[in-house]
Amino acid sequence: MRIASLLILALIPNLSLGADPFDKVCDDVNTKMVKLFGAGGFSRLNNFGTGVLISKEGHVLTVASQLLDTSDLVVHLYDGRRLRAEVMVIEQELDAAILRIRVEGKKPEEPTGLDLPYFDFAEAAKRPSAAPGDWIIGFSNMYEIALRDEPLSAMRGVIAARTKLSGRVGVFDFPYNGDVYVVDQITNNPGASGGALTTRDGKLLGLIGREIKNNQTETNLNYAIPVNAAVSVTVKVKEKDMDVEKTLNISFPDFVARGMKGDYKPAPRDKNATKGDGGYSGLVFVPNILSRTPAYVEAVIPDSPAAKAGFRPDDLISFVDGEPIASIAAWLEYLRAHTRPGTTVRVDVRRGESLTTLTLPLGNHPPRTVVAPPPPPKK
Amino acid sequence: MKHVLATASAIMLGAVTCLIPAAGAQPPAAIEKAVIDAEAERVAVVAKLSPAVVAVCIYGGQAIGSGVVIDPEGYALTNHHVTQPAGAIMQCGLADGNLYDAVIVGQDKIGDVALVKLIPKEPGKPFPFVKLGDSDTVKIGDWSLAMGNPFSIALDFTPTVTYGLVSGTNRYEPMGSRPGISEYTDCIQVDTSINPGNSGGPLFNMKGELIGINGRINFEKRVRINSGVGYAISINQIKNFLGHFYAGIDTDHASLGAVVGTADETSDLQKMVIKQLLDESDAARRGLAEGDQVMKFAGRKMTSANMYKNILGTLPKEWRVPMTVRVGAKSRELLVRVQNITPGEKPTREDPMAPMPTPRPGPMPVPKGPNTTASPAAKLLKVKPGYVNYHFNEVQRDKLLAAAKKLGDFTTVAGAWTAEGGYDLGERKGAIKLEVNEKTADPFVKLGMNIEFSLHPFESGLTPRAAAEPVGSGGLMMALYHWHRYLTVGAKGFEGDFSHGGTEPLYPFPADGSVPTSLASLRVDADVIRTKHGSVTCKWYHSKADAKLLGFETYLSKDTDPCEVYFHDYKDAGGGLLLPHRLEVRFGDKRYGYINIAKYNLK
Repeated sequence: MRIASLLILALIPNLSLGADPFDKVCDDVNTKMVKLFGAGGFSRLNNFGTGVLISKEGHVLTVASQLLDTSDLVVHLYDGRRLRAEVMVIEQELDAAILRIRVEGKKPEEPTGLDLPYFDFAEAAKRPSAAPGDWIIGFSNMYEIALRDEPLSAMRGVIAARTKLSGRVGVFDFPYNGDVYVVDQITNNPGASGGALTTRDGKLLGLIGREIKNNQTETNLNYAIPVNAAVSVTVKVKEKDMDVEKTLNISFPDFVARGMKGDYKPAPRDKNATKGDGGYSGLVFVPNILSRTPAYVEAVIPDSPAAKAGFRPDDLISFVDGEPIASIAAWLEYLRAHTRPGTTVRVDVRRGESLTTLTLPLGNHPPRTVVAPPPPPKK
Repeated sequence: MKHVLATASAIMLGAVTCLIPAAGAQPPAAIEKAVIDAEAERVAVVAKLSPAVVAVCIYGGQAIGSGVVIDPEGYALTNHHVTQPAGAIMQCGLADGNLYDAVIVGQDKIGDVALVKLIPKEPGKPFPFVKLGDSDTVKIGDWSLAMGNPFSIALDFTPTVTYGLVSGTNRYEPMGSRPGISEYTDCIQVDTSINPGNSGGPLFNMKGELIGINGRINFEKRVRINSGVGYAISINQIKNFLGHFYAGIDTDHASLGAVVGTADETSDLQKMVIKQLLDESDAARRGLAEGDQVMKFAGRKMTSANMYKNILGTLPKEWRVPMTVRVGAKSRELLVRVQNITPGEKPTREDPMAPMPTPRPGPMPVPKGPNTTASPAAKLLKVKPGYVNYHFNEVQRDKLLAAAKKLGDFTTVAGAWTAEGGYDLGERKGAIKLEVNEKTADPFVKLGMNIEFSLHPFESGLTPRAAAEPVGSGGLMMALYHWHRYLTVGAKGFEGDFSHGGTEPLYPFPADGSVPTSLASLRVDADVIRTKHGSVTCKWYHSKADAKLLGFETYLSKDTDPCEVYFHDYKDAGGGLLLPHRLEVRFGDKRYGYINIAKYNLK
């Protein structure tokens, strides 16, 4: 008992400000967010994600992922209500989309009659940007942990930088090239995209992005697109039957303001954006932490060309078409420089103590989506 | 190891170069006092908790997981998936740098919890321990501390501390999402780093109270380390099983004997209803029917299928819990016993398309086969089916019975007992005369309430109907016979079973017969002794405070309602022996009646 009293004595009666719990902030933010369910659920593509309510009428802001490729979008509100939703507009350059909640018996142009808690996006965009070192809280339905009235997951972290992104989704370079907040917390888990990054008092800072890897290190990158993001893109437009290059300035607040009203026109995009990526293998490598990380296979995407060719996790790629491959970077560079969908390459892999030769017909890249490799094999 | 060290020194160099100019520009005095205070509090809490944090090791000293000491005798909580590979005898390292031999005490395989006991270096020397908190008060956004031995990194067992937010509460992590049979119900989700080797270690609130036992992480396609999603088994769930653990029981979870699910998956708001019901379940005997809406279960509002699974997962089998159901416009509260999970109901990995299971954060892989026979812990191990370690059942049982004996030693009056007084069956009232006599070749019970009832418990050809006399009592005379035997003969009188049954809630109605505000409000937690004599089993409920017998249940057979007897008005029955003078007898959902004893005659 003596020890017990010692322990109790050690308790400090009042927690000071520096250790304020965030329970009220978490409660409040959770009411302004939705769990989002849509396309996916196969080939390791998530069919779940997150969204941020941006009007009391039920406009939802989220990431422009494959999740939205369905007419059967469903949102779960904080109170457990399950409602349908539809895509209003997508801006690929911001990697963002605006959805509208549908209420049974109401036409799309009619007011929904909903009166939901929401983030005032325009006001959020006017606030100063967060600076490196600022605390943030990330809210999302990562790993589909929450359903119905179960609250979203909250995580605390620190802004590491506001910078330009150098990332990739699968082997594709990332479509968005504006500023991002990079955070030190692992916010960008499966299903987290479209989540909210907020200040420590629950003010919206940005939209949690996809699961991507840094294309220099192949390590996962945790980022959010700031509410005041702006990008300039050069697009080709036809003017008097002539292709003219034009610069478009796209801002996040403008997209949201006009998108909710239904009069936003997305920037035209080059349909062949994947050109030059080379053929698609379906191999997933170990994190590319060192500049010369050997090309060890971490996972093979099911039904991919690599899976059909017989690649296995832990294979070490040693030669492709007779060329020695010293690193993950060398492998990716070889594919970019020498192959395209349809090309067949001969790959020598070291498997255990022996060298095995595999014939790999490269395929087409799957749609521009977050491609999740399978989990590591059962040990 | 070399690599890690190199990284560490590189980081330190980096830190030093950054810090020097910064320190010049901004003196430390500029740091907000609140921040400094918070840091000081954290440091103080960690310092107080560290001595009680355990590094669980296989015998021989290789660390494979974590744990935490919860009482001065050295009982410590950890994960089942940590103790399982370690075996029954293991070693536990504390922050004092010592390795203590330890033995498994109790476990919950499905809930992934185990209790072990550390053996002190000097007999009777108390261990540092932590206080159990209340995990129902944990909120999303609260701070938390996880402590343990991730990656088995601390060779001197100094615990590693990580600090982070509670990301979610009341989380349901199903069986099948990981290998093994465990299911995390009503658990706490944290962004506090949980890594391999943290398994079994404590999660604390910032007051330094134990709120959970860390045991799982999500990482899916990432490597098997923290990805910001860790799970701890809530301490309130563990508290429900703790009495069973201390009694060495291999605990099991329960089923309602009914399928509870969403009425309509696509409806706006969820309504939880009973979908299927086993005829022989207690739920069916309580009059529940398919389609009844479940409003509350074990004190919690039913809002989702996950919430139902959460609540069910916190209950040991055979517990009795309150439940509120609505049929039409009427709602009613009832007490229902949760039962053994029958094999058909055991959740399995049904969905072949479900994601492949991914490993848990721990334990670290271990080599096999240490020789533990020389360990002092080996003397504290007794293997028996149904128990993890029957030695501790005997210890707890004998401790409880010794405490109960302080209220009276009835072995000196093991002859005929007679009592007189009045009975009150509601409609009928009158004088009562009862006699229990075991000292004859043909033991009997006589009960006179206008009509004379009698029972010869071992009469050949005793029909179930006769055994359950008087009608509507569920076997009051059989109950009285067993009560007499329990008090006067004790262990020797129960050839079938005489063991500690852990902790269970009991719901004694007010002694004066008044209507309680709710059935839930009646709950008293009691230590249970289970007995079996002939084909009759009984459960004896002893007060946790003073071991006084609060009541007992007598089961004439499996799958029938027991005769429940509740004891009130304890007074001297002669010779300083304390006995209840008001007995409430209940059967099913009804009160059979009261027996008010004016005078006992014990021989």
